[in-house]
Amino acid sequence: MDKKHIRNFSIIAHIDHGKSTLADRLIEYTGTLSKREMEEQILDSMDLERERGITIKAQAVRSIYKARNGEEYMLNFIDTPGHVDFNYEVSRALAACEGALLVIDATQGIEAQTLANVYLALDNDLEIIPVINKIDLPSADPEHVKKEIEDVIGIDASDAILCSAKTGLGIEDVLEAIVERVPEPQGEPEAPLKALVFDSKFDAYKGVMLYLRVMEGTLKKGMRIRMMATGAEFDVVEVGCFVPTIQQTDILEVGQVGYFAASIKNVRDARVGDTVTDANNPADHAMPGYRKATPMVYCGLYPVENSDYDNLRDALEKLQLNDASLVFEAETSSALGFGFRCGFLGLLHMDVIKERLEREYGLALITTAPNVIYEVVRTNGDVELVDNPSLFPDPTVIDHVEEPYVNATIIVPKDYVGAVMELSQEKRGEYDNMTYLDDTRVMIHYALPLSEIIFDYFDRLKSCTRGYASLDYELSGYRYSNLVKVDILLNGDPVDALSAIVHKDSAQVRGRELVVKLRSLIPRQMFEIPVQAAIGNKVIARENVKAMRKDVLAKCYGGDISRKRKLLEKQKEGKKRMKQVGSVELPQEAFMAILQMD
Amino acid sequence: MRKEWEEYQAIYVHIPFCVQKCLYCDFASYANCTHQVKERYVAALCREIAYPLSLPVAEQATIYFGGGTPSTLTVEEIAKIVAALKAKGLWRNPKEATIEVNPGTVDVEKLKAFKGLGFTRISMGVQSLNDTELKAIGRIHTAEQALEAIAMAQKAGFEHINADVIYGLPQQSLETLKATLSGLLATAIDHISVYGLIVEEGTPLEKLLEENKISLPDEDMAADMYDFVQEFLGQKGFLRYEISNYARRGKESQRLVDTGYSRHNDVYWRYLPYAAFGASAASFDGLNRYTRPENIEEYIAFTQSLGETCYEAIAEPLDAAEGLSEYLMMGLRRSAGVDLAMAKERYGVDVLQRYGRELQPYMDLQLVGYDGETASLFLTSKGMAVGNQIFEIFV
Repeated sequence: MDKKHIRNFSIIAHIDHGKSTLADRLIEYTGTLSKREMEEQILDSMDLERERGITIKAQAVRSIYKARNGEEYMLNFIDTPGHVDFNYEVSRALAACEGALLVIDATQGIEAQTLANVYLALDNDLEIIPVINKIDLPSADPEHVKKEIEDVIGIDASDAILCSAKTGLGIEDVLEAIVERVPEPQGEPEAPLKALVFDSKFDAYKGVMLYLRVMEGTLKKGMRIRMMATGAEFDVVEVGCFVPTIQQTDILEVGQVGYFAASIKNVRDARVGDTVTDANNPADHAMPGYRKATPMVYCGLYPVENSDYDNLRDALEKLQLNDASLVFEAETSSALGFGFRCGFLGLLHMDVIKERLEREYGLALITTAPNVIYEVVRTNGDVELVDNPSLFPDPTVIDHVEEPYVNATIIVPKDYVGAVMELSQEKRGEYDNMTYLDDTRVMIHYALPLSEIIFDYFDRLKSCTRGYASLDYELSGYRYSNLVKVDILLNGDPVDALSAIVHKDSAQVRGRELVVKLRSLIPRQMFEIPVQAAIGNKVIARENVKAMRKDVLAKCYGGDISRKRKLLEKQKEGKKRMKQVGSVELPQEAFMAILQMD
Repeated sequence: MRKEWEEYQAIYVHIPFCVQKCLYCDFASYANCTHQVKERYVAALCREIAYPLSLPVAEQATIYFGGGTPSTLTVEEIAKIVAALKAKGLWRNPKEATIEVNPGTVDVEKLKAFKGLGFTRISMGVQSLNDTELKAIGRIHTAEQALEAIAMAQKAGFEHINADVIYGLPQQSLETLKATLSGLLATAIDHISVYGLIVEEGTPLEKLLEENKISLPDEDMAADMYDFVQEFLGQKGFLRYEISNYARRGKESQRLVDTGYSRHNDVYWRYLPYAAFGASAASFDGLNRYTRPENIEEYIAFTQSLGETCYEAIAEPLDAAEGLSEYLMMGLRRSAGVDLAMAKERYGVDVLQRYGRELQPYMDLQLVGYDGETASLFLTSKGMAVGNQIFEIFV
């Protein structure tokens, strides 16, 4: 098909505003899948994604739409991840499109996440088509939403499309708007191949499958290609697209979207954002905007059973095949034994990986509390990146410490502005500015330490605004901070896996809260266990887990033995989730105590 | 000669009837049964007693009628069961023959009749001598009635009388617990069993707690009571010979064998074979445990077609490892500990060798001890308090 009849687009939407449902309807309407074949929200394929109602890995679907003008168009829908952790992947997916549907819930209005992605789309010069969804709901107020789009984003919303993905109302209008308003792709068919990788996925039989958009030239089966960032070269074994089931086409022409496989063993050789070119006739320049995804959040992952160490490594390696942004290296903890320090794009990414390890690989894991990377400048001028609180140098050799900050955008009903500012202030936030979106909603900008966001900022924000606030953030850089390491001692021995880096002003309070929380999480054992928080050699808080005094079944005669044995077996099973640290048994929650303080 | 574990050393008969079910009770016991049901049940018991046993019965095998409340049956009914046991040679020259009674279900005549049938020991469900506490757990009798019943048992000629007591009751305090124990010590009882209240699933007690209608002493208070009981009874001349059981010491002898300790229950703790009859009753022949149907009608039906397959259907086979683990768990309940020589003989295992590494930390904390002279592994009184943690080693 000539590129005049190709339209490449994505959908930008806040969680729950109806992106997946709309995508389903579009695919269903074009007849790409029959209704019978249509599985609800087919694009979210991993179980976890469905359970959490979010999209983690992007996908691309090609469909053929016969427009009202009687001509057939090839519509390529490129799905984007719906979470701030995957911001970079969103930006690459958008770079592969010419247009984007901006889907907004007619009852909710614009949210912080939507806004961030709209700006990304505008940066990529995308044509934006506002789509107001859920207009079938009684509380829908499309006129209000239109005004908001114009006031906040500054784009014309007079021809916004009203639809209900749930009932199917307005779906054809959406398709027509894509045909009419999204520009056709540019690019020279005869130029050397230049294609943008916007996603990748590991397939056990084909190796890495790269999802890409051809910007110039043609990709053919059998070609030798080069990844311009990594320099790796491969022979293309298979070329095709998704309709949404896989279809081999052997060729992808300029403007088209699809995939190829080239017996690539590891996603590290084929990163998102890289440019694919013809090895024998390479392009002059790669596509701009490539960067290696860098982890922002680190935590330690340890097997509960030491003998599972090798299984954990195997599982991490397998997950890494599919996820270039996951990094890990072996580390040892005197408390937890052998394990791995793992880096993630964000908290959601961390949770997803952890759950996959437990669910798909059947591993019982101890996770240490997540932390950011600190930049420690020593008195001798050496700069050290510390991704593990227990490795934080002694205060006497530290000149100063810097920590990552983010620019946070919070959108909230105006009645909660005070609460948000109070919280942000408490979390060491620095006020930037505030804009009224309309009579009722306000957008507030703050600079905040990333560590506070990881800690409990988002949960607290949700609770102090009764769930109305939406939050988005992007890394802004490192800043000087007065930080100290708080160590935790159990039974007099420091437990490295429980160390935390906190701001000096709140160290006393945090230390106190932490030992109180630990006291409530650690079950009574055979002896009293002192739980202490210390900065350097100075103990700043202490609590005791009292010794277990009584745990015995009073009555045990002939008829009670079976039941008694079952009780003991259950009790023993419960302890398997505990980790022996020195002479103390710790439940998994203890290692996350710092995140669970009330 | 046969080894102790090659013969039934105890005979248990379960009587699942009660005047009223206590609020904490989750045993097989039923209130408001008609006389007809009781009659059919006694007939079923006699049928099962007549069925051949898989092991011989020791001449001095102990007898225990438990429940429920055995004293809710008539003397004639009890006599029928006793006759069946004697006819079958299960009741020959028992070391001890106990019958459980509840205050409010006996009088002197009935107790005299039990004595006449050959019972040597009365076990009385007293639970508390505080009427508020008794009422809170749904007991049918008052403190005064309990004391009267003990006096009646003494009058009927029983030398061995046990009183069951519960601590950790709703509204109970150390003072009321002390009053209960003191009140009992002033009577003729020679044995006390003290149990901590357990809130079992599905009991009315559980519901009352969930609805916040009653409250129980907290963990520390319950532990204080537990500590108090053993200290107090120790001072008053009682020998603690099992986690929850105390026997009054004689004037001349300090030895356990010279007390009224429960010979019958000791068979369970030494994990020796015991035969059992009745709904929910469990018997043990050294290799299998057989637990009978809990429901009265199901039990009656069970006895109507007795045969090998009936017992196969209710058998819980215990392999050597399970047998050993139960042997150790039960034996460690005894103050004297568990006989490791017998363990070696019965299961071919050197316990110290096999479990030494796991036992060591508990030995270091003086929760577990070993007596080389008697080859016994035992829990110290500190160890008994946290027995479940230690038993975990063996499951």
